[in-house]
Amino acid sequence: MKVYLSYFKLKFITGLQYRTAAIAGISTQIFFGLVNVLVYIAFYKSGDSNVSMSLSQTITYLWLNQAFLILIFQFYRDTELYELIKSGNLSYELARPQNLYWMWYFKILATRASQAVLRFLPALIFAFLIPIPYKMSLPVSISSFILFVVALFLGTILITAISTLYPIIVIKTLNEKGVVNIFSAFGDILGGLAVPIPFFPKFIAAFSKYLPFQYVSDLPFRIYIGNIGIKDAFNGIFIQLFWIATLILIGYIVLQKLLKNVSVQGG
Amino acid sequence: MKLYIKALKMHIMSELQYKGSFFMSIISQIITFFSYYFVIISLFTKFNNIKGFSLYEVLLCFSIIQFGFAFNEVFARGIDKFDNFIISGKFDQLLLRPKNIILQVLISETDFVKIARLIQSLIVMVIALINLRLEITLLKIFTLILMFISAIIIFFCLFLISASYCFLTVQGLEVRNVLTDGGKQMAQYPIGIFNKGFIFVFTFIVPYAFVNYYPLLYFLGRNNNTIYAFSPLIVFIYLIPCILLFNLGTKKYKSVGS
Repeated sequence: MKVYLSYFKLKFITGLQYRTAAIAGISTQIFFGLVNVLVYIAFYKSGDSNVSMSLSQTITYLWLNQAFLILIFQFYRDTELYELIKSGNLSYELARPQNLYWMWYFKILATRASQAVLRFLPALIFAFLIPIPYKMSLPVSISSFILFVVALFLGTILITAISTLYPIIVIKTLNEKGVVNIFSAFGDILGGLAVPIPFFPKFIAAFSKYLPFQYVSDLPFRIYIGNIGIKDAFNGIFIQLFWIATLILIGYIVLQKLLKNVSVQGG
Repeated sequence: MKLYIKALKMHIMSELQYKGSFFMSIISQIITFFSYYFVIISLFTKFNNIKGFSLYEVLLCFSIIQFGFAFNEVFARGIDKFDNFIISGKFDQLLLRPKNIILQVLISETDFVKIARLIQSLIVMVIALINLRLEITLLKIFTLILMFISAIIIFFCLFLISASYCFLTVQGLEVRNVLTDGGKQMAQYPIGIFNKGFIFVFTFIVPYAFVNYYPLLYFLGRNNNTIYAFSPLIVFIYLIPCILLFNLGTKKYKSVGS
């Protein structure tokens, strides 16, 4: 365990070096957030709706989405890992006495976490300081805030379990552009990154309930704004735990199977 | 032009060498692009208009701007990645050749997979047009064509501006994404739905409003002023200072060496 934590630490510290990139990223995200907020305001002001979220709830959701984007989005490329597999350097990794799955898992977790740490605070501060219709609101209650933190933490564990599947798929396909991209593009839509789940057309909402994606960020964000009550929040957290266990198990087993007859690329 | 087409053919052939990968990438592009209009469609299942604009009106607006962007990604990718030329010093090579520099940059790279977006935006446009049932006049068809061309030009201008900026900073500026990606995000909707400040910036500083807002109003029959029909021409004028800026950058260019 200690070894994996030091992998985490190493990657985390490296990730923190990219501060200029983070500043550029934040400014783009803030602009996107503003545009989104303005679009939703225009929609809400154009007549009645039948959405379960109020305007201010939606705006808070949108800002949370932008602030934590790097932590939660699927379409995230760890080119380093893909290159490693494609170039044949995978063999070095196999020579190490650690378990490959956990090594990758903690590396991915650290990269995401370090990027998020650099970005979320400035974005949130901006979102709280702007004038009223555009501004983000505080969580509905202390208990919902605590549940939000728990669910976001589990969401991060979950998204890492999902993204660790991608390099595993690449071992088989040797190309990250195909299956992996298709998978992550779907995941981003169904995770509520394009549009919050309560805005989904009914049949898609019904279908996405049975997939892991909406438990990554949609669940914690909707707990924060009070769109999901305390009782449902606990249910959601149980589903998160179920998916975390399932996906880690699948990833772990599939990787072991693949490594039994892996053919290393290149010389 | 002949040279450009030849280079284009080469790029397509080389991408098609990996057929499986190419088609998978196309599928993933289709899904990614789908997520863009999925947002609009989802929102319209909950609301019936946005400041008076209907679903198909917004989709038409969306298809024009996405077409322009995707067109640049397919046919002018090189200018988008211009910082690579400066950082690697490859720009020196281009200067040595007796051909137009912008042309050489353009053909250096294509992203042919993005053709999926180009075709999809045309399909969205056709669906929108069919459902809108507008009275079509000759001038309106002309306006529509102008809108599409100006959408291509405006992104080309923005890429040129950020490329010129690379001469100064060597490194590509990520903030330019605010103008291109962010602007695209915004111009998917009729700009009139936004605040005055936004409208001002995106009319007079980056002329998105002349691409798909003022002409759109004319096209949809919301405004019968014929000046609106010709307003995309302003974007054509916008191209001139951008090219001049780029040429100025080329003149002042100092190689990074090696």
